[in-house]
Amino acid sequence: MSELINAVIFYVLALVILLTALGVVLGKNLVHSALLMTASFIGVGCLYIVLHADFLGAVQFMVYSGGVAIIIVMGIMLTHRSEKTPSSPAHDHRLPAFGIVGLFAILMLTVYSYSPLRTTEFVVDDTVNALADMMLTHYVLPFEIAAVLLLVAMIGAIILAKGEDEV
Amino acid sequence: MTIGLMHYLALAAILFAIGLYGLFTKRNFVAILMCIELMLNAVNINFIAFNHFMPVNDLTGQLFAVFSIMVGAAEVAVGLALAFRIYHDRNTVNVDELNKMKG
Repeated sequence: MSELINAVIFYVLALVILLTALGVVLGKNLVHSALLMTASFIGVGCLYIVLHADFLGAVQFMVYSGGVAIIIVMGIMLTHRSEKTPSSPAHDHRLPAFGIVGLFAILMLTVYSYSPLRTTEFVVDDTVNALADMMLTHYVLPFEIAAVLLLVAMIGAIILAKGEDEV
Repeated sequence: MTIGLMHYLALAAILFAIGLYGLFTKRNFVAILMCIELMLNAVNINFIAFNHFMPVNDLTGQLFAVFSIMVGAAEVAVGLALAFRIYHDRNTVNVDELNKMKG
C-alpha cells in the first residue's frame, strides 16, 4: 500500500515538474515563464523530501523558489522594454533543436536502461547533523571556498550592475 | 509499481532535455538563464537520487548538491547583473542582436 502511495506521489510530482518546465520553455510571456519556473522548483523540492533529503528540500525552497525566483523576476522587470513586442520570442530553428534534444533524451534513457545498477535504499534520519559533520570536518576546504565564491559573486554582481566608476 | 533509481534518472534526463531545448530556442537573455536553472535542477535530482539508492553509506551526494545549489545561486546573481549591464549599454537583451564581435 505504501509503495502504491509512493508511486502516485512520484508520478504526480514528475508530471507537475515536467509540465511546468515545458511551460517555461514554450511560453511566450516571460513573466508566466518565471511563475511556472517557480512551480517547477517547488515540485523538485517536494521530490527531494520524497527522497528523504529533507534539508535539501528546505534549501531548495529557500534558495531556488525563494531567492532565485525573486532575482529572475527582478531581472525581467529591469530589462523589459514594451508591452507590444513579445517578451520571449522563440527561435526559427526549433525543429533542429527538437531533433538534437530528442536524440539526447533517447540516448540518456537507453544508457540508463542498459546499465546494470544494483540499488539499495539508504536513509539517514538526521540529515542536518550528518551534513554539518561532513561539511565541517572532511569537506571544510570546499566549504570555505564556497564562502569565498559567494562573496566574490556578490561583489562582482554589484560592480557589474553599477559600473566600475560609480561604486 | 516500485519507484526505483531509474525513474528518477529518467525524470532528470527529460527535465535536462527540456532545459536544453529552451537553451537552444530562447532568445531572451533572462529566459536562457531560466533554462540553465532548470538543467541545474535536473543535475541535482541525479545527485540526490544516486545518494539515496546507491550503497554509499554517507551523504556525499547531498553535500555535493548543496555546493551545486550554491554555485547555481552565484551564477544567477552574476548572470542577472550581466543582463542588466547589457540592457543598460545596448538597450536590448535579445542575444541575436548582441553580435558586435561577429566578423
